[in-house]
Amino acid sequence: MSETPDKKRSEVADVDRSLYDFVMPEEGYERYADGLTPDIVRAISAKKDEPEWMLEMRLKALDAFHEMRMADNWGPDVSALDMDHISTYVSPKTKQARNWDEVPEDIKTTFERLGIPEAERESLAGVGAQYDSEIVYHNMREEVAEQGVIYSTIEDALHDPKWEPIVHQYFGTLIPMRDHKFAALHYAVWSGGSFVYVPEGVSLSYPLQSYFRLNASGAGQFEHTLIVVEPGADLHFIEGCSAPKYYEANLHAGAVELFVKDHARLRYSTIENWSKNMFNLNTKRATVGADAKMEWVSGSFGSHVSYLYPTTILAGARSRCEFTGITFAGATQDLDTGCKVVLNAPDTTASVDTKSISKDGGVNTFRSSVVVGRKADRARATVSCSSLMLDDISRSDTIPAMDVRNATASVGHEATIGRISDDTVLYLMSRGCSEAEARTMVVNGFANPVSKELPLEYAVEMNNLIKLEMEGAIG
Amino acid sequence: MPDTLLSIQGLSAGTEDKPILHNIDLAISAGETHVLMGPNGAGKSTLGHVIMGDPSYQVSSGTITFDGTDITDFAADKRSLAGIFLSYQAPVEVPGVPLYSFLRTICQMRPELKTTARKFRQRVSEICEHLEMDDSFLTRELNVGFSGGEKKKIEMLQLLLLQPKLAILDETDSGLDVDALSIVSHGIEAYRQECNGALLIITHNTRILERLDVDRTHVMVRGNLVGEGDASLIDEIDSTGFGRFEQALAEKGGVSE
Amino acid sequence: MAEKNAASAASTLLKHINTPAAQTWNYLHINDISLEVPTPTTKGEVLARLPRLFDAVETGIGEEAASWIVSATGDSRYVEVKAGVRREEPIVVDIDAATGDIRDTGVLVREGAEATIVVAVHGKASEAGTSASLLRIVAERDALVHLVEIVALGSGQHLEGVGIEAADNATIDVRQYALGGDKVAMGICCSLTGRSARLTQETRYLVRGSEQLDVNHLVRQRGRDTRSELVTSGILADAAKKTMRETIDLIHGAKGATGNEIETVLVTGDDIVNKTLPTILCDEDDVAGNHGASIGSISADQLGYLADRGISTKEAEALFARAIFDDAAIHAPEALSRAAALKRAEEVLGGDIALDVAEGLGLSTDIEEQA
Repeated sequence: MSETPDKKRSEVADVDRSLYDFVMPEEGYERYADGLTPDIVRAISAKKDEPEWMLEMRLKALDAFHEMRMADNWGPDVSALDMDHISTYVSPKTKQARNWDEVPEDIKTTFERLGIPEAERESLAGVGAQYDSEIVYHNMREEVAEQGVIYSTIEDALHDPKWEPIVHQYFGTLIPMRDHKFAALHYAVWSGGSFVYVPEGVSLSYPLQSYFRLNASGAGQFEHTLIVVEPGADLHFIEGCSAPKYYEANLHAGAVELFVKDHARLRYSTIENWSKNMFNLNTKRATVGADAKMEWVSGSFGSHVSYLYPTTILAGARSRCEFTGITFAGATQDLDTGCKVVLNAPDTTASVDTKSISKDGGVNTFRSSVVVGRKADRARATVSCSSLMLDDISRSDTIPAMDVRNATASVGHEATIGRISDDTVLYLMSRGCSEAEARTMVVNGFANPVSKELPLEYAVEMNNLIKLEMEGAIG
Repeated sequence: MPDTLLSIQGLSAGTEDKPILHNIDLAISAGETHVLMGPNGAGKSTLGHVIMGDPSYQVSSGTITFDGTDITDFAADKRSLAGIFLSYQAPVEVPGVPLYSFLRTICQMRPELKTTARKFRQRVSEICEHLEMDDSFLTRELNVGFSGGEKKKIEMLQLLLLQPKLAILDETDSGLDVDALSIVSHGIEAYRQECNGALLIITHNTRILERLDVDRTHVMVRGNLVGEGDASLIDEIDSTGFGRFEQALAEKGGVSE
Repeated sequence: MAEKNAASAASTLLKHINTPAAQTWNYLHINDISLEVPTPTTKGEVLARLPRLFDAVETGIGEEAASWIVSATGDSRYVEVKAGVRREEPIVVDIDAATGDIRDTGVLVREGAEATIVVAVHGKASEAGTSASLLRIVAERDALVHLVEIVALGSGQHLEGVGIEAADNATIDVRQYALGGDKVAMGICCSLTGRSARLTQETRYLVRGSEQLDVNHLVRQRGRDTRSELVTSGILADAAKKTMRETIDLIHGAKGATGNEIETVLVTGDDIVNKTLPTILCDEDDVAGNHGASIGSISADQLGYLADRGISTKEAEALFARAIFDDAAIHAPEALSRAAALKRAEEVLGGDIALDVAEGLGLSTDIEEQA
């Protein structure tokens, strides 16, 4: 705390990055040529020794990608993203390990600095770690495996005669390849990610966590996560992402397909802290069976541009969805985030609660859609979003759409945008807090309903992040 | 008892998770004025709402008979049409509905009050004058943006328009507000004069009763009717409070929380 | 003008009407509405046009639709209310659907003046007829403007565009009633440009049968300490379709601005489509923007209160429908618009209930008498 304010400010201009901003050399890596051609797609497929149907799917998706256009009437600008200069496949030359000691030193160091092995020892049932395009570490506790839980890469599942049909049955069925241009791209070049299968009635007492690290510059990460939670089963899955900062654009276009069967529960927590040169164009979707529950907890802090709207389809009667999210947009960031919920069955309920904080010229857009179909008798949905403006050069837009087609449904929405009230700050200062402390306290209080839903280590990280960002703001 | 208007027998009721009223017996004859007193939280307002048919309470046993008809299973709107009126402590705001449209609707659906728009308007103006109310209220939205006193006047206006056989005035909170008190007193006076209707006044403040001939006084403690008497009971409670009744209930081993 | 709307005449498709300030997913079909309208046939005619200052007034329906209206009518009407004058006689825009009226009106309310402006849309259109109104208002500092729009068509389609520019301390109050029409698009934009300019806007609608109502509300808050209050409530019956976009745009520099929007939708029809896009845009920190919406049935509290006064759920729905027409009749500032509301009420509610409010409250409906 002895630094001069000036020094402090220059440090915190990009402060949360200190934890993530380290680059490992790319020597000894296999990197495919930039750009997108059928040859590259075939090469990825051949390297993975995939079934024929997967290659066909990739080639079809590639056509779709070239054919489809981005909407020109909404959303952040992605014209800086030049696919001819993005490498879609970068792989460390290593085999997937089940023991951290078998992971190459530089990669191991990366994940140690991110705290992954430690978290695994303390509070996780299993961990998958992806470095650029491939999973480098995958492990799950014995007792969880004994319950019949599968947690592997999709590539491994495809090579297992027992699981290949299951992957085939679900893969690509929830997020169609023509969903949007970058979904098509994803299906053409996907690599890595996780396959999770929780058998009927099995409850995991600890979460599984996959961590995605993009180390290479000018590259894309396209992992596919496929989770099937069978009837009555219960899973908490955590996803973390980060990357060091480069000047060249990086791209993340992952896909997450979640199948939550009757009476099952899935909690899917994400902390996304990509570097500010990242285009995060990610697609997540869940379908939820009768009496089942889908919970999303989503923290978005990083990336240059984000398009992220996890979608929940409440297909079964009495199914429920809870979405809790926070987005923090700072300098040079344009984060278009939110969620979509489709209520398609009787007595379904959805509640969405989001917060956003904008500062230093950052742009936050909360975008949502709640669609209540004709069959959704007595469905109930509430959407609540609050936005905090920390200065007058930032921007915060709230664009929630609702489409209701059932007379017995009830939908409520509330949104507020404002700043930290001077009265509150004055009150706290009159009790002895410095202005910085007072403002930090208010922002933490604002974020608290969301941070308390995060896994502990991430909640702490988020609070630290806010504290540092706020100190930067006061100078 | 041919002139018994309201007869409650063995009534127990409560919310889904909590019984509130226990084995209530109460009879009110046409034209009588009854007072229901009791400490805070005794269940007085609940009784008023149960008589009116509030769906948030369930009757677990007993019957409510009104004007010779068993109304225990009647919905609130049917009870209202039968001649029961319940005034609200905090009348619900109904944005978008002009007071005129509302008053006209509730009168036109009662055959005995059906009349032309002009005559109806005359009647409303008379009552407004009596209540010292500006009739520009009529074009404003029902209960929206009115002061507490104005809302009370709108409740009294409805009471006088509808001329119910039984009016239940829930005045638990108005004891403290001098204005509200005088509005309600005015309303009661006019109601007694013009319709000679029966009254059940729920209160724990006796000032509202000063200018009124009370026929019976009932005391409720923890959901039980534990005392009954004539008007003199009001004075006794005024000076000694509810202690004696609370004790009596405890000794009787009455239901308690 | 009737011949312009003849079925045989050429038609033009206006593709993007009522586009909101910020759009969203196109697959939701909520970003705009299109209308098939008669192609203007006024080539070669010399048109009366409005003073140029109205060109800068943004309307809610969008440029494409606004320029169509301007080119489809030959007689733009300009009204000026002199500084400091309180104009008693309302400025009335009379749109008769039966003759396919299309009007372009510009009103300049000078400093400190007060004016009441009425748009009354009434009548039954001939086959697939279109009527339209474009009204642009410039309110100078300290001006006070009351605008009442009553769109009460028996049939046909109508395009209703409004743009308002409000200078320092100007006060605008708007009441919109959408009471009928096969396909109605209403777009209003109010720019609170001056310091402390304020807008209160109340919109009520009843959409029934297979009618379609498309609304765009936009408030641009540019001035310091500007205020906007938007309240919308309506009923969707039968197989009605409604799209409602509401945008409060808190623009950089609008320190101390507040904007509130509330929407309540009562759904009584089993086959309705109800779309809502309530948007708040903000690039200023010292502001407060709030939005609330509730879509569904009458609240339990309200139903309880009404039941205690003898009103069943079904009767309550009828009361809410009646109330919209009663409220329109009460707030119509002159006989033409009031007659339009009551005429439509007669078609929807029947004569007894429709005329009750006028009789009970002594509201004049005598258009001749007024004239």
